[in-house]
Amino acid sequence: MVAELDRWADPPLLVLASLADEPRHGYAIIQDVAQTMGVQLSAGTLYAVISRLEARGLIEPLRPAGRRRPYRITATGAQELAQQTERMRKVAHVAHARLSARPGMAGA
Amino acid sequence: MSGPRSAPDREPGAPLLARAALALYPPAWRNRYGREALSLLCDLDGGLPAAASLAWRAIPAWLWPPPHLHDRGGRMRASLASMLVAWSALAGLGLVFEQLTQQQPVDPPGHAVIGWSYLIFDGAFLLSGLMLAAGGLPLWLVMMRRARRRRSARDTVYLLLPALVPAAFLAGLVILIQFIRQPGGIGTWWFLAVTLAGFAAAVAAAAGPGLALRRLRPRGPAVRLAVVAFAAAVATMLLACAASVIASTGLTVWARQFAGYHQAGPIAGYLALVTIAGTVAAVSAGRGARAALAGPPGM
Repeated sequence: MVAELDRWADPPLLVLASLADEPRHGYAIIQDVAQTMGVQLSAGTLYAVISRLEARGLIEPLRPAGRRRPYRITATGAQELAQQTERMRKVAHVAHARLSARPGMAGA
Repeated sequence: MSGPRSAPDREPGAPLLARAALALYPPAWRNRYGREALSLLCDLDGGLPAAASLAWRAIPAWLWPPPHLHDRGGRMRASLASMLVAWSALAGLGLVFEQLTQQQPVDPPGHAVIGWSYLIFDGAFLLSGLMLAAGGLPLWLVMMRRARRRRSARDTVYLLLPALVPAAFLAGLVILIQFIRQPGGIGTWWFLAVTLAGFAAAVAAAAGPGLALRRLRPRGPAVRLAVVAFAAAVATMLLACAASVIASTGLTVWARQFAGYHQAGPIAGYLALVTIAGTVAAVSAGRGARAALAGPPGM
């Protein structure tokens, strides 16, 4: 059940969020996601996600720096991320309000 | 979007496990992401777990390849080559079936299912060969012209192998039979040796155009026509093989007096070989036809 509710840790969303402020290469994405979002992405998961996001035009590769290739979010990717986070914000708002109304949960 | 042509899984200094994991991916994926994925594994220094995570994700990369990495022309050429080899193997199995059943000097069995299976086998086998020849000829001519323009003797020989190898095999067979013929036939071991030699000849004959496809890299309508025709030929050959399996099983069940070698063991072996070759042929036909029929005619 917990795994089914784990949409908040959806790897594509985490990668898009990581790239929202600046371009990053694979290692930097993994480090950023772990430090700022508390999720450890594996190398296999990361490149599966990168290939899917690139295929959908949500991120794009930049010129490689050595053997590392940075990626940046596209306009479409930013729009998609904004829609997803807005939906998550609404869900969080409703959940927070209703949890606060439960007896013994005030101030939650 | 094509990446570097060098093999990233042979990158010097990369961990063996990482290179092994990367080798599991489709070539297009490796060319595009291999170098940076190896770099990431080196940075992570994750050892076996990191390499295992990469290896595990190779399965969906094969099953659902990212569309932006799809090399439609390459897919069609690879499918053509594998369809040709698999079709040849199925045709060889069909000829063995024909030799051991319909060509035997005994009365045909009277059961209707066996009779109908023979008819379906003969018709489908012939139709499949015609479709393969008709669909492959324009592409063969395109490649032959390209080989001549390049003055490539090797490609010309590759393209002539489908005619040269069977001719050499049949000529050798005619000569051999003069020496080994006995009153009751050629004997079981000679039959097996000739059959194996026939399969080797069929694979060699089919591999020639396959190698030429890799070297000459033809494009255009002739490739699409060949893929569609080969896929139809494979489907028809599978029908023929299904009929042969039904007939073989029927001979074992309903006509046990018909020749002494119709026992469960050979039938099971025949069924296994047909299943393996048929699976390869069907998968290649499906993937090739999907590439040929998707999108505009250009590649």
